[in-house]
Amino acid sequence: MPSDLDSQIEQLIQCNPISEEQVKRLCIKAREILIEESNVQVVDAPVTICGDIHGQFFDLMELFKIGGTCPETNYIFIGAALPSPTCLVPMNDPGDFVDRGFYSVETFLLLLALKVRYPDRITLIRGNHESRQITQVYGFYDECQRKYGSSNVWRWCCEVFDYLALGAIVDGRVFCVHGGLSPALQAIDQIRTIDRKQEVPHDGAMCDLLWSDPDDITGWGLSPRGAGFLFGADITKTFAHHNAIDLIARAHQLAMEGYKLMFDQTIVTVWSAPNYCYRCGNVASILELDEHLVQEYKVFQHAPSDVRSVPLKRPPADYFL
Amino acid sequence: MAAAVAVPEHKLSESPNSRAIEIFDWTVTAKTGPISSAAQCDALQASLGIPHPEMMFGYNLLQIKHRPSGWTYAFRSEDALRGVKSGPLEDGDGGVKVGYADTWLKSRTGADSQIPLPQMVATKPYDWTYTTTYAGSLDDAGSRNAQWTPAEPSNAHHSIPIAELSRPDPILFYAEIPLFDDELHDNGASHLLVRVRVMPTCIFILSRFTLRVDNVLFRAHDTRVYHSFASAPPLVVRETRGWEAPHERVKRALPRRDDLMPLTDPNFICKVLSDMPKEVSQEAGAGTGWRGLGTVVQVTTLQP
Repeated sequence: MPSDLDSQIEQLIQCNPISEEQVKRLCIKAREILIEESNVQVVDAPVTICGDIHGQFFDLMELFKIGGTCPETNYIFIGAALPSPTCLVPMNDPGDFVDRGFYSVETFLLLLALKVRYPDRITLIRGNHESRQITQVYGFYDECQRKYGSSNVWRWCCEVFDYLALGAIVDGRVFCVHGGLSPALQAIDQIRTIDRKQEVPHDGAMCDLLWSDPDDITGWGLSPRGAGFLFGADITKTFAHHNAIDLIARAHQLAMEGYKLMFDQTIVTVWSAPNYCYRCGNVASILELDEHLVQEYKVFQHAPSDVRSVPLKRPPADYFL
Repeated sequence: MAAAVAVPEHKLSESPNSRAIEIFDWTVTAKTGPISSAAQCDALQASLGIPHPEMMFGYNLLQIKHRPSGWTYAFRSEDALRGVKSGPLEDGDGGVKVGYADTWLKSRTGADSQIPLPQMVATKPYDWTYTTTYAGSLDDAGSRNAQWTPAEPSNAHHSIPIAELSRPDPILFYAEIPLFDDELHDNGASHLLVRVRVMPTCIFILSRFTLRVDNVLFRAHDTRVYHSFASAPPLVVRETRGWEAPHERVKRALPRRDDLMPLTDPNFICKVLSDMPKEVSQEAGAGTGWRGLGTVVQVTTLQP
């Protein structure tokens, strides 16, 4: 398999999708590896932590240029690999959809192929977009349909989502999670008891880990949306203290500067999708932890617009009424 | 086939983040840049008293200026967000919760909830959907202090001439200026986008707010500003329209049941909402009592 897999990785790096049969085998193999992983993967430093990618394939290639290739660099991806609905809004030109450069299939499959090829050198953590519900409604499902002519690839990928780890702990000192903390969890060890092999539920600790956000409040707050938690500096510091960790690294929220440290550096939001949605103009970053867990944030820009990347072009004039 | 419209003299200018056109007595400027920095967002948040939308285009601006009178009208994100309700939502604000809010809360508080809800602090209430009926900002009223007054239904000049705007005259200047975007934590989307086109005979602006809350509702609020270069004295027409409908009702209008992508397209949403009978989308709405429903047409006359 390695040589087969190597050529598939080679193909995916060129942003060419692999065959449906290859996807099927890759997903089965990935599941076999992921099922053995614990809810909170234990990872050794040095390691590089990456946030949301959102299907921006060519920017992922930039990330590897800055951070080094896998397996030479050990990676943790805490972000949503798949795009969000807003990015898919074709604004005023629905025909623009295809050439806007949505390569979620290639992005996800490349990360998955690297995982299968180098299981100990890349850790994939589930993001809130890695769910049936979200991918079915927007984007990823359609992209699979368009590229493979059936929903098989989407279905196999969803089965893989259910096996992705919920978090990682680096040298016992840096806790990585997609969203944030949960009032149901005081200890990282409690996460290990969750049965994660399911669609992201709308409630419970697993939901919170993927969805909650830090906020300038004291204690726990209920989101004004009517669902979801916000947690303050005191909660974050208490959690860090109880679990003897220095830092919580999370993704999930856009940061114009590529990362945002909060609460006396006890929590950081890492964002790895530059020029988000091809129109935000933000930079992205990755967090490198050396063998002593010293943090270095490496900031990077979006890929130069190549033919297949995205058009930084102006929207075409439109006779709107 | 009518004779082609003569293209009047005009001057275009451009810098990296700004473009402008001077035509007749008018200057139209469009600025577009990256989203606001963390420091700018923090300052904005402090000033507005509500969390800023995820994508906040603080630099972006559309401004039209009538040089002889000084009358200057603009669209900018900060002003639009001042129209978003800060504080507890009341009658008329049209407040909603996410579709699964009841289930979510019950799972945390009900008898069978495994983990009781912790002590909650009050988070500052605000309209998390960023609903705004923003219709632009009067930056400078000009020398004679022009006011918006109700349009006279009998006056043909007091309405927006769709026929003229549908004519394929050359577009002399075109810009799309996003003001803000938020994905509502994947519970839908809230967008505010301003578009402008300067034609040989007129200036036309459409500022469009669209909201989708999954399994709850769709909402839209359009502001159109129109000026005919032929009007004397110079007249500006402003029309605002608000619509709303339950999510399910808009979903029924999908061309293909299994393709939900159009629900993310503001133009599709507005088309469906505006095609519905007035009693449905402009009066009943989604039953939220939102005050933005309905249509208002106003005019202002500019005196140099």
